[in-house]
Amino acid sequence: MQAVREGDLSRLGRLFDRHHRAVYEFLVRTTGQRAVAEDLVQDVFERVLKYRSTYRGEAGFLPWLFRIASNARADHYRKLEPTMSWSDELDGEDDSAGPERLVEGASESARLQRALLALRPDKRELIVLARFSELKYEVIAELHGVDVNTIKVRVHRALKELRDKFQKLETTSHAV
Amino acid sequence: MRCEEFSARLPDEWVGALDDTERAAMREHVGSCAACRQELESLGDTWGLLGDIPVPPPDSRALRSRLDAAIRREQESGLHAGAHGTRWNQWLLAAGVAGVALVAGLLMGRMSSPASTPNDVVALREELRDLRHMVALSLMQQQSASERLKGVGWSTRLEGPSDEVVTALIDTLRHDENVNVRLASIDALKRFADRDDVRRAALDALQNQHAPLVQMALIDFVVETQDREAAPALRRISDDTKSDQTVRTRAAWGLEHLGA
Repeated sequence: MQAVREGDLSRLGRLFDRHHRAVYEFLVRTTGQRAVAEDLVQDVFERVLKYRSTYRGEAGFLPWLFRIASNARADHYRKLEPTMSWSDELDGEDDSAGPERLVEGASESARLQRALLALRPDKRELIVLARFSELKYEVIAELHGVDVNTIKVRVHRALKELRDKFQKLETTSHAV
Repeated sequence: MRCEEFSARLPDEWVGALDDTERAAMREHVGSCAACRQELESLGDTWGLLGDIPVPPPDSRALRSRLDAAIRREQESGLHAGAHGTRWNQWLLAAGVAGVALVAGLLMGRMSSPASTPNDVVALREELRDLRHMVALSLMQQQSASERLKGVGWSTRLEGPSDEVVTALIDTLRHDENVNVRLASIDALKRFADRDDVRRAALDALQNQHAPLVQMALIDFVVETQDREAAPALRRISDDTKSDQTVRTRAAWGLEHLGA
């Protein structure tokens, strides 16, 4: 990234090849929509291009990249629903992931995905980062500007909430 | 091992970050504690099941070709600094600082000289202002956090900063990795709180930034600027039991002062 920052833009292609799948996976798991995630991946790498001069490398490239991805996702939902307040987005039992939800039906995976999408976006992001990004807790803590123990506590609480929602959906589906 | 200690180690267990001794201590604990055994199993199952949610592969080729097009556009626009951008930036900065000192000296000389005309003084003042803008912008692009802090400091001393400087301050607030630099940018942006883009940037940051110090500064910002649109965000922070307690208290204080 240092080379891109200093003007060798052709190196951005290599960074894309190496990291776009991780960014895509983060976005597709947090939005539940493939097309949206692909558009956001594009947006993320265009932001890397645009804001390359702000890259310092103090915390490494991946935390910086995931911070941009998180901002891009939040900006997308703000543009999409200009009348919806942030708190609405955060607090809503978000069952509106759209027609392209990754997995449909009543399978365990489908229910778990519904439970994940029903979490507040910040908690959903935290679980996806911890579970899939391969970033260490120390790095995720740096990304969120808190200490590592706080991040572990937050991941623990978010996963408990996910489990409870998942179990609730399981009970509901059995009752139907 | 006590239950609290067991709970605290669970997140490390999920990512496989425990060593053999720690894992053995956890196993020993669950042998005698049914509640923790249940917690280990059910949360572990949920963690594992997350990996079963299928993810369709992205259309990497199409994405790469769109990025290549964006890179070509950027290269053609000639906006990139070139392979020696950083050195050029540092040279520009050094030249700018020297220029400010030189023009400031000339200005003082002209002002005290009976032979100088008002037009000379005005021209020199404008020259000095432009140079200060350039130095502030260059400093904000530097690699060192202390240099970027200086850049934000310079921007606060500018008379009538350009849109470019305000945009650079907003970019700093949104993207700078260093908390102190982001805090300084919030202070610097207060002068421009009547601008829509600045208020919007502060509100966005309040919703996205997680560092408690930055959150506190942003709460003060929206209260000082009486930005009522910030009320839902403040309410959410205030109600969020997972947020830092000091930040929550400050958010509640902010809501009161916004009359919301």
